[in-house]
Amino acid sequence: MGTSVQVTPLSGVFNENPLSYLVSIDGFNFLIDCGWNDHFDPSLLQPLSKVASTIDAVLLSHPDTLHLGALPYAMKQLGLSAPVFSTEPVYRLGLLTMYDQYLSRRQVSEFDLFTLDDIDSAFQSVTRLTYSQNYHLSGKGEGIVVAPHVAGHLLGGTVWKITKDGEDVIYAVDYNRRKEKHLNGTVLESFVRPAVLITDAYNALHNQPPRQQREMFQDAISKTLRAGGNVLLPVDSAGRVLELLLILEDYWAEHSLNYPIYFLTYVSSSTIDYVKSFLEWMGDSITKSFETSRDNAFLLKHVTLLINKSELDNAPDGPKLVLASMASLEAGFSHDIFVEWASDVKNLVLFTERGQFGTLARMLQADPPPKAVKVTMSRRVPLVGEELIAYEEEQTRLKKEEALKASLVKEEESKASLGPDNNLSGDPMVIDANNANASADVVEPHGGRYRDILIDGFVPPSTSVAPMFPFYENNSEWDDFGEVINPDDYIIKDEDMDQAAMHIGGDDGKLDEGSASLILDAKPSKVVSNELTVQVKCLLIFIDYEGRADGRSIKTILSHVAPLKLVLVHGSAEATEHLKQHCLKHVCPHVYTPQIEETIDVTSDLCAYKVQLSEKLMSNVLFKKLGDYEIAWVDAEVGKTENGMLSLLPISTPAPPHKSVLVGDLKMADLKPFLSSKGIQVEFAGGALRCGEYVTIRKVGPAGQKGGGSGTQQIVIEGPLCEDYYKIRAYLYSQFYLL
Amino acid sequence: MTHATKAIYKLLLTDYVKVSKVSVEDMLFDEQDINRSMDRIEVLDFHQTVEVNGIKFWCYTAGHVLGAAMFMVDIAGVRVLYTGDYSREEDRHLRAAELPQFSPDICIIESTYGVQLHQPRNIRERRFTDVIHSTISQGGRVLIPAYALGRAQELLLILDEYWSNHPEFHNIPIYYASPLAKKCMAVYQTYILSMNERIRNQFANSNPFKFKHISPLNSIDDLSDVGPSVVMASPGGLQSGLSRQLFDIWCSDKKNACVIPGYLVEGTLAKTIISEPKEVTLMNGLTAPLNMQVHYISFSAHADYAQTSTFLKELMPPNIILVHGESHEMGRLKTKLMTELADCNTKIITPKNCQSVEMYFNSEKMAKTIGRLAEKMPEVGETVSGILVKTGFTYQIMAPDDLHIFSQLSTTNITQRITIPYSGAFGVIKYRLEQIYESVESSTDEESGVPTLRVHDRVTLKQDSEKHISMHWTSDPISDMVSDSIVALVLNINREVPKVVVESEAIKSEEESGKKAEKVIHALLVSLFGDVKLGDNGKLVINVDGNVAHLDKQSGDVESENEGLKEKVKAAFKRIQSAVKPIPLAAS
Repeated sequence: MGTSVQVTPLSGVFNENPLSYLVSIDGFNFLIDCGWNDHFDPSLLQPLSKVASTIDAVLLSHPDTLHLGALPYAMKQLGLSAPVFSTEPVYRLGLLTMYDQYLSRRQVSEFDLFTLDDIDSAFQSVTRLTYSQNYHLSGKGEGIVVAPHVAGHLLGGTVWKITKDGEDVIYAVDYNRRKEKHLNGTVLESFVRPAVLITDAYNALHNQPPRQQREMFQDAISKTLRAGGNVLLPVDSAGRVLELLLILEDYWAEHSLNYPIYFLTYVSSSTIDYVKSFLEWMGDSITKSFETSRDNAFLLKHVTLLINKSELDNAPDGPKLVLASMASLEAGFSHDIFVEWASDVKNLVLFTERGQFGTLARMLQADPPPKAVKVTMSRRVPLVGEELIAYEEEQTRLKKEEALKASLVKEEESKASLGPDNNLSGDPMVIDANNANASADVVEPHGGRYRDILIDGFVPPSTSVAPMFPFYENNSEWDDFGEVINPDDYIIKDEDMDQAAMHIGGDDGKLDEGSASLILDAKPSKVVSNELTVQVKCLLIFIDYEGRADGRSIKTILSHVAPLKLVLVHGSAEATEHLKQHCLKHVCPHVYTPQIEETIDVTSDLCAYKVQLSEKLMSNVLFKKLGDYEIAWVDAEVGKTENGMLSLLPISTPAPPHKSVLVGDLKMADLKPFLSSKGIQVEFAGGALRCGEYVTIRKVGPAGQKGGGSGTQQIVIEGPLCEDYYKIRAYLYSQFYLL
Repeated sequence: MTHATKAIYKLLLTDYVKVSKVSVEDMLFDEQDINRSMDRIEVLDFHQTVEVNGIKFWCYTAGHVLGAAMFMVDIAGVRVLYTGDYSREEDRHLRAAELPQFSPDICIIESTYGVQLHQPRNIRERRFTDVIHSTISQGGRVLIPAYALGRAQELLLILDEYWSNHPEFHNIPIYYASPLAKKCMAVYQTYILSMNERIRNQFANSNPFKFKHISPLNSIDDLSDVGPSVVMASPGGLQSGLSRQLFDIWCSDKKNACVIPGYLVEGTLAKTIISEPKEVTLMNGLTAPLNMQVHYISFSAHADYAQTSTFLKELMPPNIILVHGESHEMGRLKTKLMTELADCNTKIITPKNCQSVEMYFNSEKMAKTIGRLAEKMPEVGETVSGILVKTGFTYQIMAPDDLHIFSQLSTTNITQRITIPYSGAFGVIKYRLEQIYESVESSTDEESGVPTLRVHDRVTLKQDSEKHISMHWTSDPISDMVSDSIVALVLNINREVPKVVVESEAIKSEEESGKKAEKVIHALLVSLFGDVKLGDNGKLVINVDGNVAHLDKQSGDVESENEGLKEKVKAAFKRIQSAVKPIPLAAS
């Protein structure tokens, strides 16, 4: 009866691979997240390529590579063409992250999986939503509502809620419960009893150390800088780095430090510019400070934004702190800087998030860290000498070929455009048509020669005319006053002022970040790689600033949300299994951990039907208020309305008596102060509440699991026959509603 | 309110407090009050749905000023749209007011401009720039008296752009002389996301609100008034302040120009000079010839008639309430809308201040029956019994056992165990109980082997020891009552008071008890409805506020003109009857 829901993981289950899941709701296919890792391994996208064309909508949850990295590639190569939904920051910061990835990659390899243009066109199809905006899908997805909600972790980070017919499917990965400097905590806890919850087990085994990490972080940095060393923080392009920047800004201001801080990515300046305009997506404290004093927290006072490494090299010597992308150390500025700095014992490489599996960062985070690592140093160098000549020759050849192709295409087009003309022109052309045929015949013997010169590997159809300059018949219409014109062609555009302005403004969002690559593309260049071994002598520290809920809070949240069905994805095999066992025991009896490409059906086995509540019935119903709920017992007779809906009418015969129900959730800890406020001596003794001298109240039976079990609380009240007994019983009853 | 509105709100009111010249006692509020109100203001983003007590609301862009919003409120499926000040025309920085996805049931709409029509925006802009261009070229000065917020920013954008396109003007300064506008610039530079695509695209290159050719001006002393210049100054009405100071200096030179871009308030100097008088009175009381050119080019971001009528035609709300507008203008708008929307049965209301408009909507209440209760679809005539749970305006019906699955509520069973001192023979109790209750089963407890009695499958009695018996049951009203009667019975045996003798209680004649019941029913009905009389043919006549209902005591049938009263009487009678008649013990 309910809405059918199927989940098929395409990547990122039982391991820490990128996230990508197919969720199908009544036949409407959502691709939730479209991630890739820092290695850009196309084999990871194998499962996606099989289903890409069937996808109806894409939902993105976070602006980092693991959540949206494969979008440009999938759009370009895998035939993904669905509309994409994300929040504004996910769109914008995701775009910048991808630029940064591309430019970093391009610098060290012949990266050809996608280009900047592919990134642009992929992100063009993004529909931007705000938090808690209920977006009603139309067409095939009629009746489905999607809404992004605050997830924490990254700016714009989203918990997706997909609703159909009152049943909620919630996708929540990488959320954070804690409120941070620039972000609010997730609102995941405000959802209760969704039909399906898809969540990750990434941090299930990982418990955050208590708060001291902040001091550790600051101590480590200041110690190194004071000792004259440099600090490298490998960071993502536009995600967690924002939080780190704010922490550093504060620390610098507080202790009036004057060591330079550099934020070095290919897109750092645009990132901060955009982030400055995203205040409404940030936490309360940031918006508040702006509203009261117009202080934009991202007007960074101590941080210098750099977009290429030579600027860093030109910076004055002396201890400095550099935040550089990529966090994985696989490519990008962080990679180069690491290689330079690793061999100096004074330096510090401070990791703030766990590196992706199989990357250099992950290797270095091992305990104990490796003494030396092999790295490939690649550089893009301009071509010189013979190579340059060879390249230029190749280019001219290519250009020629292209020109030839273009001319062929043009010819083809002109033929095509002439063709129908011939047919259309009707009677007067009959003779001509004959002529054409005749001339074709005539040309035939000579044809070979032309073809050799002009047409390469292309045989013109026998009906085609001989090669000639494009000739277009002027078959415009005439009437008594001359040529018939279309007045629209002669209207002077009023919008010219706007047009001009648009030109100044331009549509070119990637100017400054793109410029680097434009220079790089313009000059013929090649990639030179050499492998070298780097002695890791510098200090390596890992301090968790991932901003994800840790194992403990994941469990708390899950038991609070208490979904009817739970799907676990993304997390190592052990973490997934651990969380599964935990949830089976404490959260709900239906926990699924699908494998890649395994489709699981999480359609709710709920029965449900809709009825109309007639006015007559409702006028006799007395509601009792209980928290957010109002409840009442109804006995009703089923009838039908004019349009065939079932409706509930008041019952005609006296209602059959029903077993009375006590509604309410009693907490012993709450009962105690309540009873003592009524003048009864109460104390806890051996798990029971002793009231007065003789009466005891106990809770029996299993507590805990909310979704399953009987769900009914068992309370026992015992005592001898005395006045107190009845008094206490009355107080106990007052805690419940009797229906 | 939206983020931008909140930021501007604070600046605006703080500015008001600072410039208002009334004494401290007359001040309506001070800065502290503003700060306190800031804590109470919840912000929301466009389209973000907020739910309070089941009432949902969200907002759309209104296009009037940065952060302006139209609110849609959804109460149990009835939607009300409040446009506030809105404009359906996209300008340089604001998005046009959106067309809501759903049609509202009531549309509360502004009527500031009534049936007037605006010139197209590009023509107005062309006039504006032409005036400035020609004045500047002739070596004159341009004064633009404008309110600090809203239109000022739009005009500055136009000017900055015009200057960028005309390098020959680059040495001619443009000033905006308003401390408030200067402060608000930070807000404009930040909430780019509330603006239109054009600004957002420009933002990719550089912040369009970081003007290249325009600078702020703090006071008239900072203005080196030596050559042509463009100054935008507040207030817009030229009542006092910087715009008036400049006006006084510049008004007698015919090379100069004054461009009035906004709505004109009656009684201000700006309104006066529109009619181009020969002379004006300066602030110092002297008169001076008005030689400067005066132009009125409205950039007001309120909807005109064309926008209002197309907006309403697209939305097709069944009820329209016109607000905010001068009463004549509103009347004309109403008439014109009436003729235009004649064939779609639209109600247009123009309430006066403090006059409330009441409308009734009978929305169907729909409930979803879920869980065990819904395992099979019921046929017509069957009964459905369960817990009706209402959250906000959604209803669900479910079996008590499912309550914890579909809501955060849970059910509880309370088991009671009570020990009663009793030293007599257990058999006596059994004997006594059998005299009162139909079903008394005796057995022995499996664990302790003591004899037990089970009364009506509800209450269990156990002989724990020679001195005590214990009794346990699960709480519910009937079981509690049964247990009470058992306790009384056991205590009576203990006290050895006169035994309850098996006597065929003098059964009162049917008639007698019937009479008694009738009396009780009558008394209860009187207490409920007041005027209850015994009518002819044995029916009771109940009179409530002129509504009369006839109640047949035998069948419980009620006849009445008034449906509400009929239902009430019926329900009351049913409840009274169930109270008067004995409770069937077989209930379970």
